[in-house]
Amino acid sequence: MTKWLRSESFTAWAFMTPGLLLLAVFVFWPIIYSIPLALTDYSVISDTHYVGLDNFEAAFKDRNFLISIWNSLVYVLIVPFLQIFSILMAVLVNSRIPGIKIFRTTFYLPVVTSMVAVALIWSWLLGNNSVVNYLLMQAGLISKDIHWLSDSSLALYVLMFITMWKGLGYYMMLYLAGLQNIPQDLYEAARVDGASRWRLIVHITLPLLRPYVLFCTLISLMAAIRVFDEVYVLTKGGPGTATLTSSLYIFQKGMEQFNFGYASALGLIVGAVIAVLSIIVFRFNRKGGVNPY
Amino acid sequence: MNLQDDKMLQSPLPKNENSRIIRNLGRVVRMTVIYVLLVLLALFLMGPFLWLLSVSLMPGRNIFSTPPAIFPTFIDFENYAQVWQFMNFPKYMLNTVIITALGVIFNVVLASLTGYPLAVFRFKGKNLVFTLLISTMIIPSYTSFIVHYLTIQGLHLGNTYLGVVLPGAVSVFNIFLMRQTFIHIPTDVRDSGKMDGASEFRIWWQLVLPLVKPALAVISLLEAMSFWNSFLWPIVILNDTELYPLAAALTYLNGQFAYNFGWIAAGTMISVLPIIILFLFTQRYYMEGLAGAVKG
Repeated sequence: MTKWLRSESFTAWAFMTPGLLLLAVFVFWPIIYSIPLALTDYSVISDTHYVGLDNFEAAFKDRNFLISIWNSLVYVLIVPFLQIFSILMAVLVNSRIPGIKIFRTTFYLPVVTSMVAVALIWSWLLGNNSVVNYLLMQAGLISKDIHWLSDSSLALYVLMFITMWKGLGYYMMLYLAGLQNIPQDLYEAARVDGASRWRLIVHITLPLLRPYVLFCTLISLMAAIRVFDEVYVLTKGGPGTATLTSSLYIFQKGMEQFNFGYASALGLIVGAVIAVLSIIVFRFNRKGGVNPY
Repeated sequence: MNLQDDKMLQSPLPKNENSRIIRNLGRVVRMTVIYVLLVLLALFLMGPFLWLLSVSLMPGRNIFSTPPAIFPTFIDFENYAQVWQFMNFPKYMLNTVIITALGVIFNVVLASLTGYPLAVFRFKGKNLVFTLLISTMIIPSYTSFIVHYLTIQGLHLGNTYLGVVLPGAVSVFNIFLMRQTFIHIPTDVRDSGKMDGASEFRIWWQLVLPLVKPALAVISLLEAMSFWNSFLWPIVILNDTELYPLAAALTYLNGQFAYNFGWIAAGTMISVLPIIILFLFTQRYYMEGLAGAVKG
């Protein structure tokens, strides 16, 4: 017994216990418990019954849920744009010129700021009699006010733009780290062999940046499907169901209508969609071939 | 590619005066293009904040003018004074600081405690723990907040800061980040500690942790940002609006005083300034750590 107490195994578990305990309660338990929960009609208001797969059946007939899944998939369209722009920004701020650190910091400001603040700022910039409309009119680009957030054909794209605006700096910084980790002698060796600037990019920069592209694509994909804060603060899913994303819908069912069983079922379905999408991204990257971005 | 590399590309002795002038001209043009792009991007990414600052300094009638005002006709701190009095900012600020500090401490301690054995110890069950951790990344827990809500109520932690902080107190991402960092610590460090008869805990605390400060800085800053800016979970868990952190109080203010633009602008400025200042002071360590962490 005393031998066990002095062994590496014991010390290891002693180190890990507090962390693993909390992980068990707040990471593993929710995954496990949401499955039986999804098979019931659990809500705060009435008695709980086992309902089998009824919730799942209802979900696939629930027009709003299907719309919310569709909106979330549309939201994923920002992923390639986000990656392309942040890589270009990273290349730009990788220049060694005076004052570049100030620019890097400036570009990171939206990342540091809370989504609530960001959403408030943009809601005013884009609202009625707003600055953006005024500036666009002054520039002669539009002739009358555009209702950016209350036009159902525009609102979702405006939210996507805001999400992208806030995220650019974050991915830029990750790619900058990637660019700075590429050994300079690789470039010098290639130059000695007479490689052109373009070939340096294609044969050195892009291949070595690939792990970063995979990492950033995955996390931005998850973030796009989980998008919540900006939608909740700016449009609450409206107008109509134009910006109803899946996480907002699950939140409405769960935390506003206390329909815990149904919300759990919806969560499991969306979770499956996320799993499929991440597998696709992994596959796409493992196959080699053309790098999507 | 950067300018320094281009200099290296140039042959040490120019063939003639003309080509040198052309090269210099080319460099000036390139620099100008880069600076123009940088300034445009800065305007795009910082412009909205500058405008917010501008609005927060406008006297009331200025804000609702047509065409919309972009710069105040005269600078006026009235909005700040009024919203400060109305909202009891020191209290919300204190709430936010408590929540943020708790969240950061939990994350730093738990991630470095849990990640350490996974990097340097040999023990039974290591693979099991590893597989479990990775599985959480593959199986997304999308409905966590519903079960979290039930768990927190079950633990009787509703309406407490601990209830706000606990679900985010440890993250698999941070554990991995710390493990990746610990792996690069030379084994000699631990061995020399053992020779001197130090306990594993002391080795971890006094010898190893000081070596991974950049990674600790990354976790601290990322978690500080996320707890400082959190608003939804606090709203769900706290019944008492007196306990709200700033971001939550801000949505509350926005709901109540949507008409009072200047107040909300000033309130928003007050809420974002502390975290921006924290970032400005710590960004050096943060950038360094981030680069090291991703390299892993």
